[in-house]
Amino acid sequence: MSTSTIILWIITLILLIFSWKKGADSIKRGTQLAWSTTKKNGLLIILAFIIAGFVNILSPKDLVTAWIGPDSGWRGIIAAEFFGTLLPGGPYVVFPIIAVLVQAGAGLGPAISLITSWSTQSLLTISFELPFMGWRFTAIRWTIGLLVPLLAGFTAVLLWG
Amino acid sequence: MRSFLKKNWISSLLLVVILILALIAYSRGGWHLIYEGIKNGITIFVTEIPLLVAAFLTAGLIQSLVKKEFITRWLGQEAGIKGILLACLGGGLIPGGPYVYYPIAGALLSSGAGLGVLVAFITAKNLWSVSRLPYEFALLGSSITIRRYLITFLIPPLLGILVEWLFGGYIQKIRENVKE
Repeated sequence: MSTSTIILWIITLILLIFSWKKGADSIKRGTQLAWSTTKKNGLLIILAFIIAGFVNILSPKDLVTAWIGPDSGWRGIIAAEFFGTLLPGGPYVVFPIIAVLVQAGAGLGPAISLITSWSTQSLLTISFELPFMGWRFTAIRWTIGLLVPLLAGFTAVLLWG
Repeated sequence: MRSFLKKNWISSLLLVVILILALIAYSRGGWHLIYEGIKNGITIFVTEIPLLVAAFLTAGLIQSLVKKEFITRWLGQEAGIKGILLACLGGGLIPGGPYVYYPIAGALLSSGAGLGVLVAFITAKNLWSVSRLPYEFALLGSSITIRRYLITFLIPPLLGILVEWLFGGYIQKIRENVKE
């Protein structure tokens, strides 16, 4: 069992105790929410893992290293940002795919640029942003936000090379 | 067919990606490589199950502990730097996807929140998010997650302040933009 698994289960236990102190209802609601998310996204998760499996087997190491490898510099960080805006779906879809890219040789800077870009710049999220916030807000937030993945990726390279 | 695609378009998109990858695998090693790819994916999935269960439970419990009405009420009243910092905290705590936080941001916009507050809220939701953290931790590992978190920690408040300073005066136009 990995350290991440143990730490995550400890957090789960703490939250369970905390919810239990707040009343049995919190635990019930929490586990129900967890189950409904699992049911809603179960198929997506399996599909995402199959994609990860294929990427693993096809091992596009040369391709990944050339584009977003540790020595890809600015170009890699920008390519990762661009790729990040295109990634669809929630964390359970996106993170397994990013994990495989990291295993296939993506550098730390591009990896962080990729995660950040999917988080703040995802083009699919804009379809939710536009109706609620209007095009002016969306344009301002998205355009200024383009700096964020670059900055994050570059800081990662500066700090941890 | 169209309504099916509309409802399941992310699955459909992922299926298309899988088909493309399967074609590449087939051209390189025939059916055997396709089988290997699927087997590899399922194997990683099965090894990740203990982590995934914990991640889903953590996210669900956080969701049930943090009420969104509470966050909306709490954020509608503050402005300035304090408002931006509170917005970051609210954004970091609020669980759920874009179909949850954009309606809230929209409600905050129409109830008078400033531009910096709204940008800080959305950015913190996407970079600080406590409920997304378990998945990132489980699937990407602690080393990348901790570094990613540290690096992007200052971004939500700074971006809020920057945007407020640059474009804060446009908030009335932005509000009318939504009402149209």
